[in-house]
Amino acid sequence: MERALCDFIVALRGSGVRISMAETLDALRTAALVGFKERHILRDALSAALAKSRAEEAIFTDCFDRFFAADGLAATGTADPSGPDSEQAQTDSSLGQMILAGDATGLSMAMRQAADRAKITGIAFFTQKSLYIQRILRGMGVEGLDRNILRLSRENGEASQETADALKAGREFLFERVRDFVERQYALYAASAQEAILERYLREMRLSNLEQRDHERMHRIIQRMVKTLNDTRSRRKKAAKRGLLDVKRTLRENVAYQGLIFEPRWKARKIDRPDMMVLCDVSRSVEAVSRFMLLFLYSLNEEIARIRSFIFCSNLAEVSHIFDQCGLDEALGRLQRGTGLGVDLGRTDYGQALRNFKEAALDRIGRRTTVLILGDARNNYGNPEPGILSLIHKRARRVIWLNPESPPFWGAGDSEMRRYLPFCTLARECSSVNHLERVVAFLVRTG
Amino acid sequence: MGMANQMTFETIEAVGKGFAGAGYVCSPTIATTLYLAHHLQKPILVEGPAGVGKTELAKAAAVYLKRPLIRLQCYEGLDESKALYEWKYGKQLLYTQILKDKLNELIEGTDGLAEAVARVHQYDDIFFSERFLAPRPLLLALQEKAGAVLLVDEVDRSDPEFEAFLLEVLSDFQVSVPELGTIQAVSRPYVFLTSNNTREMSEALKRRCLHLHIPFPDERLEREIVRVRAPEVPARLREQLVAFVQQLRELDLKKVPSVSETIDWARVLMILNADQLAPPLVRDTLHVLLKFEADIEAAEGRLAEMTQKAVR
Repeated sequence: MERALCDFIVALRGSGVRISMAETLDALRTAALVGFKERHILRDALSAALAKSRAEEAIFTDCFDRFFAADGLAATGTADPSGPDSEQAQTDSSLGQMILAGDATGLSMAMRQAADRAKITGIAFFTQKSLYIQRILRGMGVEGLDRNILRLSRENGEASQETADALKAGREFLFERVRDFVERQYALYAASAQEAILERYLREMRLSNLEQRDHERMHRIIQRMVKTLNDTRSRRKKAAKRGLLDVKRTLRENVAYQGLIFEPRWKARKIDRPDMMVLCDVSRSVEAVSRFMLLFLYSLNEEIARIRSFIFCSNLAEVSHIFDQCGLDEALGRLQRGTGLGVDLGRTDYGQALRNFKEAALDRIGRRTTVLILGDARNNYGNPEPGILSLIHKRARRVIWLNPESPPFWGAGDSEMRRYLPFCTLARECSSVNHLERVVAFLVRTG
Repeated sequence: MGMANQMTFETIEAVGKGFAGAGYVCSPTIATTLYLAHHLQKPILVEGPAGVGKTELAKAAAVYLKRPLIRLQCYEGLDESKALYEWKYGKQLLYTQILKDKLNELIEGTDGLAEAVARVHQYDDIFFSERFLAPRPLLLALQEKAGAVLLVDEVDRSDPEFEAFLLEVLSDFQVSVPELGTIQAVSRPYVFLTSNNTREMSEALKRRCLHLHIPFPDERLEREIVRVRAPEVPARLREQLVAFVQQLRELDLKKVPSVSETIDWARVLMILNADQLAPPLVRDTLHVLLKFEADIEAAEGRLAEMTQKAVR
């Protein structure tokens, strides 16, 4: 049973629950404590030991039900209840004997053992299913059974024919059970392979090609990334925490030394929380990417307390409130369509957008503010107003421009990127999560 | 663990019954987790919406195990000196003053500074002994001879640094006081950590704990809870008020009523001598269940309908 538990943990890990070695040991002890008799108790107990959050609990329950599903052999109807028949002694294959005796437990055991030998946990692609089915059947000794059936059906005599028919039916039944079994194992073990592959694929692929259904997953990747940013920040915080002398605490704690200042105490230095303003282009030229940008924006809004968000096309409008009011899907939809937000989705006008931004928020930019601009800088040959960006650059801590186009295209055609470039602390191409990750790493490094 | 505890954690059913006896009605999941926590000697990290009985669980455990409950309330800025131990500075100072003469006697007749220091060194640690140590909740829990129930409440409010420190205590059940050395738990405390999920706890902490999520109870369980906590409420009224609260939780409210509010409401209805729910009565007492004006307004619109459904 330990083996089964370990396999179960492999499957759980594959589904995204992180389980350490220590937890594996806990799970084994847990199972030994509560036993395998009562399914729901085992499930509750293992869930307490292995799942660490509500989301993981849900995954766990799902996985548990699939993994410990009955393998169907218990309901075997192949038993030939004719009792010890002299004819049946002719089946010299042990598999045949089990079928004739209706030994469901024996068959189930044989199947699991054969599956172990066939290394079923290594299954990764659906094309491997039939291979594994054959391997397991062979491992159970189906070849001997086939020879047996052949020999019996050649013999004359009613009893032999009957036994042969019973064996054939049993073989068919067995095949179906093994197929179901492999099907389930595939769902359990290959999910991991699939998820890992899909995740890598999503990180590499161009965001423009993203499909609706992948947004959920994308969001998770970004959340993980933003969390990395947070974690790093808190470690930095600790190192740089010491501030001025805390006179009150020093006096109080040094009373023990007759008032001699023996152990000075320090005030914790105030922590600079990131202060961010984000401008996001939602015009048609960046439509596909902007959806991803908005997704990023949404995640940022969830993670960073002081953030103001703006979207622009022909003009600019603040949309910070949207993130508090709406769920992810609704927010993205509303931002993209711009309904009721006061943003005009005509020709892209960076000049107008910057002028609007200057009115709305320039005086709120301080030396701690990071201004993040997401857009392709394609201005339809209008006035790009680089002067305003220069103003922003002077006031803000840094200006970061993330452009979905790659640098060779910057400045080509109606792109004004070259004129904006001098006023950006950092300008990067950003059209995949990997790009984004690099930007985040840079932000963390430069604090 | 003593013999008595061995008995109390024999089976999962025994745990469930025992906690019910202590005034806490467990769902099977909770009972299983409690049972495991005892046998694996691991802390339980309890999560769930506010007012669902997370803190109550620890209190019930203390009653059931007949051990003292030691509570550590977490907040931003909580540090070791408030959670673990502090020196009694005043007492140290006072004693050095009182014993000044004795100290003088001690170093009397010594020749030179070095010898005097050597003489004092013999009594080196006298002012940093356990007599001058003020134990705080964590240390208290470790020192408790028969073992204690330690409740680390709202651990999500503490700083990451404190969380890291807590890890050390929870994994080995020992702490080191530089002046005294390592202090090992006499008997391992039964530990609960509660979290309202205002921030995600670190992986490491989660790994060291059993995870228990307590959701709002279903109707049957909530009736049972009201029966145990407010036994004076007659059965018919109990069914009605629980049915009403369950409906209320379905509404889109800012803050849905928790179990503790159900119990409060049951008691209020008893004081008002109610024997069944009626719309005017519910309207007058709704503020016991709902704490926001907007919520009360939202609920009032559907009050008659919901009351009728609950009474049926």
